[in-house]
Amino acid sequence: MNFTVPKYLKEIHWPIVVLTLLLAFVGMVAIYSASFREAGDYTTKQFFWALVALGIFVATIWIGYRAFLNLANSIYMVTIGLLIWVLFFAPPISGAHSWIKVGPFQIQPSEFAKIATIMVLANFLAARSPIIHQKRNLILAFFLVALPTLLVLKQPDLGSALVFLPLLLAMIFYWGVNIRYLVILFLLSFASLPMIWSNLKPYQQKRILVFMNPSIDPIGASYTAIQSKIAVGSGGLLGKGWLEGTQTQLDFVPEHHTDFIFCVLAEEFGFLGVLAVILLFVLLIRSAYQVMNHTTDLRAKLLALGIASYLAFQVFINIGMTIGITPITGLTLPFLSYGGSSLVTTFFALGLVASIYKERSIF
Amino acid sequence: MMLKPSIRIYVLQFVMLGALALLVVGLFQTQVLRGGYYRRASEQNRIRIIRLEAPRGNIYDRNGVLLATSRPAYHVYAIPEDFDPQDISTIGRFLNLSEVKIRTLLSQARHASFTPVLLKQDVSKEVAMKIEERRPGLGGIFIQEGFIRSYPLKEVAAHLVGYIGKISPEEYKNLDPSVYHYGSWIGRAGVERVFDAHLRGEDGGRQLEVDARGVPIRLMGEKEPVPGKDLYLTLDARLEEKIRPLVQGRYAAILVMDLKQGGMLAATSTPSFDPNVFVTPGRAKERLEVIGSKQRRLLDRSLNGLYPPGSIFKLATAIAGLETHTITPHTTFNCPGYFRFNGRSRAFKCWFHEGHGRVDLYTAIERSCNVYFFNVGRLLGEKRLSEYVKKLGFGSPVALELPTAGGLVPDAEWKKKIHRDSWYPGDTITLAIGQSYLLVSPLQILRLVALVASEGKRFDPFIVLEEDLRGKHETHFSIRSETFETLRRGMLQVVQSNRGTGQLARVNFAKLAAKTGTAQAPPGEAHAWFGGFFPYENPEVAFVVFVERGKSGGITAGQIAKRVAHIYHELYSPQIS
Repeated sequence: MNFTVPKYLKEIHWPIVVLTLLLAFVGMVAIYSASFREAGDYTTKQFFWALVALGIFVATIWIGYRAFLNLANSIYMVTIGLLIWVLFFAPPISGAHSWIKVGPFQIQPSEFAKIATIMVLANFLAARSPIIHQKRNLILAFFLVALPTLLVLKQPDLGSALVFLPLLLAMIFYWGVNIRYLVILFLLSFASLPMIWSNLKPYQQKRILVFMNPSIDPIGASYTAIQSKIAVGSGGLLGKGWLEGTQTQLDFVPEHHTDFIFCVLAEEFGFLGVLAVILLFVLLIRSAYQVMNHTTDLRAKLLALGIASYLAFQVFINIGMTIGITPITGLTLPFLSYGGSSLVTTFFALGLVASIYKERSIF
Repeated sequence: MMLKPSIRIYVLQFVMLGALALLVVGLFQTQVLRGGYYRRASEQNRIRIIRLEAPRGNIYDRNGVLLATSRPAYHVYAIPEDFDPQDISTIGRFLNLSEVKIRTLLSQARHASFTPVLLKQDVSKEVAMKIEERRPGLGGIFIQEGFIRSYPLKEVAAHLVGYIGKISPEEYKNLDPSVYHYGSWIGRAGVERVFDAHLRGEDGGRQLEVDARGVPIRLMGEKEPVPGKDLYLTLDARLEEKIRPLVQGRYAAILVMDLKQGGMLAATSTPSFDPNVFVTPGRAKERLEVIGSKQRRLLDRSLNGLYPPGSIFKLATAIAGLETHTITPHTTFNCPGYFRFNGRSRAFKCWFHEGHGRVDLYTAIERSCNVYFFNVGRLLGEKRLSEYVKKLGFGSPVALELPTAGGLVPDAEWKKKIHRDSWYPGDTITLAIGQSYLLVSPLQILRLVALVASEGKRFDPFIVLEEDLRGKHETHFSIRSETFETLRRGMLQVVQSNRGTGQLARVNFAKLAAKTGTAQAPPGEAHAWFGGFFPYENPEVAFVVFVERGKSGGITAGQIAKRVAHIYHELYSPQIS
């Protein structure tokens, strides 16, 4: 009975690894169902990306979050550079300057920018006390986040731009922001709404108007909203079965392998199926908090929190839009939506969280 | 106020997990409580979207003559899901389509059986009415009013106006899906392409609920299409229509520019094409003929054709010489009929083998003396000459609203890179007379002529009447007015002097000034150029006539130019006299 687990295996936060792999698997199942009738072979491509992402995941755990945080400024600068480049030099796809074409693949710099901003913000806040010069530090932190937000908004990619706000709010809240400033920040965001609104493309404005009043655009956005709700609802308790979803298979719901992948799951696996998927996300977010409690490094705590809020927000907005709780903004569902950049970024982010657990004993 | 870190963590966790819990509640409501309702809705998905095409804006010339318009047409569609195969023979009779053809069309849309399939476009009103009467019995069939583009003047200004085409699936991927749809029309060439966003309106649509047989029972929502905006061009269709026959049957281009306002009056390029073949159903064969034409009929020779300019380019060399103070108008060179760098070099010939004798700049322009400009080129050197020529806009596109060709101005660096050969003094002096590797478009020559004629006030022309829609135009040139005056006088002598090369273009109603060009382009005959303006005092128009393989600028192009001037005069004489 002298069986001992090697130290390097014991150090790994297994729940995160298992949850990550499970979610990636669910994603592949859904993407196959969403796309097997069409050309493009999305499942194979996604599988390839999952392997790349897994490699990055393992490497990130092995290298450890400290190295990445130390490089955070450079990573941040590079992603800002990419965001500027994509705005000016990348040809538009579906009317947005969001992708860089590299060989057969399309890279979406806004995905990387989210993690880069979390890292640089974690560094910045951890190095500064909330007690001294809080106002000045908050303004600087605000600028760190505003820069990528505005660049992404300009693409235009409203959904991705919106992700930055909850990140900032969650991280400064934990850092110890004066509640008064938090309120001011909230009011400021409200005050800037007209400016953001005027920067939106007509179709984005339409989507938001439709969210508030579905009868505005009967043939465009509200049609999508209705059809996606029918797709989700028709899944019922148990679903129609894998590959049997008529709403998504018959093209009633657009972009069903990317933004609306959740419709496929909901229609084919029903309430119990999606409950299980949401549970996986809940456990993943819980794991991030668990890791936070296991480290004394403030940078690491902020990093894990930022990643948890990034996950929670994307999941909330994406699933919410399929049932009309949130507006349709074009945001991917982490792990499940087709797309290499999103998958790689999510795996990398969770690799960072897992590595915090591994390095928790180093002081 | 500060909360303890542990409490802050609880608050954050509560918010995040609370949000996910809210999703679960929403999903429970949608899937379990209302699941039955949505299940029925999905099983008999009875909502159909019918797109309503927005009419595209018209294109007019400066006088309101229609250049492009849209006429209403009826198209017959079928929604495969609602269509009863038993009706195939009935509908086939109405539309004069075979059963096999209809089956093929329907099966192409197997994957999206709720998306309307176009059975036949542009059916007559009678057929449309007949189908409409029978419709309660014909599930899944409907008539949609659409538009068919038409270009009433056919070949006239076809290159400039352009045409539209249906969006291909590859293109669709890169376009904004809220503006463009599968099967939408999009500008493919000319003004139709560049001003597509202006001309195209916003498509509307109907959301219909249909019964089990596919017959609409309820209109759930409707969005009216927003018609596209009209566009007015600076072109004068009458002028264009009248000058086109002058070059019919030739490979040629004529450009006429209004110097008072700066707009383009005519831009003719032959051989041309009838843009209607791109938009009229059933003319696919002609369309392929135009596209594959060996005559390159789609090429707008006036804007995008690139040729050596020959002697007409001496105007540019003269400007470079005068502006760099390399020569004055009174500088003379002796022309013995040829030019040698030194005793051992080869002889570069003047076109007039007997030699022009000792000539000054005016006479050199008047008689188009090569030797004079060989000397100017030699004195300027490769660097100064090519730099100045580039400053005058050669080698870069003209800032028209449409894309135009940039052409080529060779220099030592270019020759080394492309031909792996050094630049010889002979290259410089042949460049000075518009030969060498130089390539220019008729439009680039037009703007040079316009610049000289207007003494620096006009350069890049425009074609859109509305100022807000125009691009940015270069207007600033630091060229001395004496230089312009010298060139204008030289050009006047070309036509008015009895020894000028452009005498054939002399007209009796005004003093016309011009420069000829006969560009060697072996193998084959030389290209003919003739660029000028009139009246000499206070000029109204600048023009360029170009004839591919026209042999002689002074004769072929000059005679055409004279008739262009007459036609213009007939149309606009009240203003002239």
